[in-house]
Amino acid sequence: MIDIMCEVLTPENLTDALQLLAKADSTTKILAGGTDVVVGKTQGSKRFADTVTLIDINRIEELKGIFEKDGMISIGAATTFSEICKSKLVEEKLPLLKKASSTIGSLQIRNRATIAGNFVNNAPCADTVPALLVYDASIEIKSQAATRNISLQEFLQGPYKTQLQQGELVTRILVPTPKQNYAGDFYKLGRRRAVAISRLTLAVLILLNGKEIADIKIASGAVTPIGKRFPKLEEFAKGKVMTDNLLRDLSKKMGEEVLAVTGLRWSSDYKLPVVQQMFYQLLKGIER
Amino acid sequence: MEIKFILNGKEVSTITEPSLRLLDLLREKFDLTGTKEGCGVGECGACTVLMNGKAVNSCLVLAAQVNDSEILTIEGIAKGDELHPLQKNFLLNGAVQCGFCSPGMVLSSYALLEENPNPTEEEIKDAIAGNLCRCTGYKQIIDAVKQTAKELKMEVKA
Repeated sequence: MIDIMCEVLTPENLTDALQLLAKADSTTKILAGGTDVVVGKTQGSKRFADTVTLIDINRIEELKGIFEKDGMISIGAATTFSEICKSKLVEEKLPLLKKASSTIGSLQIRNRATIAGNFVNNAPCADTVPALLVYDASIEIKSQAATRNISLQEFLQGPYKTQLQQGELVTRILVPTPKQNYAGDFYKLGRRRAVAISRLTLAVLILLNGKEIADIKIASGAVTPIGKRFPKLEEFAKGKVMTDNLLRDLSKKMGEEVLAVTGLRWSSDYKLPVVQQMFYQLLKGIER
Repeated sequence: MEIKFILNGKEVSTITEPSLRLLDLLREKFDLTGTKEGCGVGECGACTVLMNGKAVNSCLVLAAQVNDSEILTIEGIAKGDELHPLQKNFLLNGAVQCGFCSPGMVLSSYALLEENPNPTEEEIKDAIAGNLCRCTGYKQIIDAVKQTAKELKMEVKA
């Protein structure tokens, strides 16, 4: 019998939750799906060694739901991946986010795990991060005193480090509704298809003007220490005609950029060609 | 703390530690030992129960989170002595060997059929992807789910 020995607070609305957070110190953590916190506690993870109080945010209506308002798609922080996978709005406007969400864990995990929970600990393997990055997502953060918005890329400081301050709660994820017809894809490589921790994830969005690349957004997860965009590569590709030679060239450069970020590792001999091949196939798929 | 919830169709209440896992709450406080503990970290699905109609790993849900919810365990799907069609078809198809994964498998399949009475093979595989079986393999289990879907459809027609 396992009791993780924490006090569990279950506020019914955002005001109460922020009030509890304002009084809390670093021994208090937010609990949503429990797929990270409860596992961490039962496994004795160092990240939760000091945690004695959990604030369960599942009952808070303000942190749920997906809707579009003023050109922004707003996703509640405590929205589960199953809810994201079922959303018509996400399917239509943010297909890469749907695809990334559907690759997470198993149905049991997707029924509990939440989108903010995916990136709020900034684990490098967070599957939705590359998708959110290519969609230029930002997040709304609230504390009892203030509300602030920050881009997801800025929020993600380093492996397991974010900009979240004591007393703050991620409340919503905001994605500008894509105005033009971007084509794109998301790819995840894990050791098997289900319940797999990602080894490599890539997301690409391309806006084509005939055969010319009018705009391109590229992001990685898992393969780099934190999810990141590739502005240099994006700039290089913009305005060029999408030929097979260009795609090969881009893939080669992508590999070099990833290597530049990660440094040479024991796994580089394996990962480099895989990144390049994955990226090439992603681009090829989008071209078709 | 005191929590109240609906367990297998009956309203129940109990005094519990708030951070006890639902898995332990079911097994230790309610003697519902059909729910199994495999990995304890949400990877094997042996502890699957339905929470508000959705399959969840009961090793990842805390007692305090169960308050006011509806929980269905393997003990709750038969009608008295009459097995649920899924249980019957698991037996008929040889989908049960050691039986440790069966409660979770049946409940994941149950949640699937409630939502999608006519699943494709891919949809069945996706629904049970979070349930590991190390004995019979998955073919017999998928066959059992398919047969149940067919029977339930005929029942609706008849």
